[in-house]
Amino acid sequence: MPDTPIHPSGRALRVGVCGPVGTGKSSLIALVCAQLAASLQIAVVTNDIYTDEDARFLRSAGVLDPERIRAVETGACPHTAIRDDITANLLAVEELEEDFAPLDLVLVESGGDNLTATFSPALVDTQIFLIDVAGGGDVARKGGPGITRADLLVVNKTDLAPHVGVDAEQMVADAGAVRDGRPVIALSRQDAASVAALTDWLLGQLAVHRAGTLVPADPGPMAAHFHADGTAHAHDGAHDDHVHA
Amino acid sequence: MTSPDLLLMLLADARLPTAGHTQSAQLEPAVASGLAAADVPAFVSLRLATVTRVEAATAVVALHHLRHGLALDAVELAWAARTPSAAMRATSRTMGRALLRLASRLWPDHRGIASLRRGASRAVVLAAAADAAGLDAAALARLVGYDDVQTVGAAALKLLPLDPAKVAGWVLAALPAVDRLAADVAPLTTPGDIPAAGAPRIEAWAESHATTTRRLFSA
Repeated sequence: MPDTPIHPSGRALRVGVCGPVGTGKSSLIALVCAQLAASLQIAVVTNDIYTDEDARFLRSAGVLDPERIRAVETGACPHTAIRDDITANLLAVEELEEDFAPLDLVLVESGGDNLTATFSPALVDTQIFLIDVAGGGDVARKGGPGITRADLLVVNKTDLAPHVGVDAEQMVADAGAVRDGRPVIALSRQDAASVAALTDWLLGQLAVHRAGTLVPADPGPMAAHFHADGTAHAHDGAHDDHVHA
Repeated sequence: MTSPDLLLMLLADARLPTAGHTQSAQLEPAVASGLAAADVPAFVSLRLATVTRVEAATAVVALHHLRHGLALDAVELAWAARTPSAAMRATSRTMGRALLRLASRLWPDHRGIASLRRGASRAVVLAAAADAAGLDAAALARLVGYDDVQTVGAAALKLLPLDPAKVAGWVLAALPAVDRLAADVAPLTTPGDIPAAGAPRIEAWAESHATTTRRLFSA
């Protein structure tokens, strides 16, 4: 797409995909690639904990040239690799951007971690946090920085809800209640409308990135919380001018 | 003016963002092939006598070249010739790139750092950082040795069930050997001086690790 305006920095949109183990991060990336690889130039970085399972899964899914999928080993520190020392991931992203220039989209899959693991805004421009109905209907209410403040929350595998005794609509409503208006998508691979909502969100982020107005935000480590005096606020670093005892 | 002590601490600190947490210094494949916790001090000694000696000597010679305006190509070639494992060369260059990324930000006006290209070995990039920090050759060699011992120790805590104080004790016990290594290599100035001290067992572990599908550490 030579006439497409690109980001002022000339680089791809970097999208983080994080969430607990087994919520469907690799499947979501495979789904996005299957939907968008014909119209966008895409590459993927995986952060496997112990195996190259995720990278191999994506390569074998046949949705992307295997050369465009690279694995980063994190030395049993998946949290470190996406938040405090992002060097290994940045190098992998930059190498893909150089080897396959010009790329439109680089998807960075975190190692499956806990509810507090989110990406540094120095590594990704925007991020998706995944939970799934099979993990229990109460997960959305538990909150945490990813659930409350990731740019997009995906409640995955909604087609399984009747089989695991979870009210998917209630789970999505719970998530919406803690997200202060940020988007939530209830996703099922079987539901074309939900898949379209996901790709539409991504294309929207890409458009904002290309316009140069996408400002990466850190969802964590602190979620919005309440003080005894009844005021609520979030810690985003930039305006954090009070002290906690 | 910052003291050399503080600058050495900065470069030796595991919290420096250079992807150090991805490295086990070949301890992971060693453990996979049967190395036990009690063998870790011997593994550390073996590295200090062989592959780490090559890296420290390369760094010292590169520092001399940087400070005398000499080209680094011959230093890189001498290092590569003494590092027969392609996997270990690739790891060194990746770590070199990570360190160069940081050093270029910390010392943006340093000519030696600016002159380095992608593919520089970690030893050579470390020499450029040491030059920018004003470290002398012995301090640079101690940095290489100390970092290697601590990398093995930190990886041991992930790979083997150990009391962390015991690992700290191993590091303390290895420090005299690090000092001896530094004293030996600090006077070196030419690529031909770099010792050719290979460790075929470690090199074979590095090669097998590069192709395994199950690993915690990159190398």
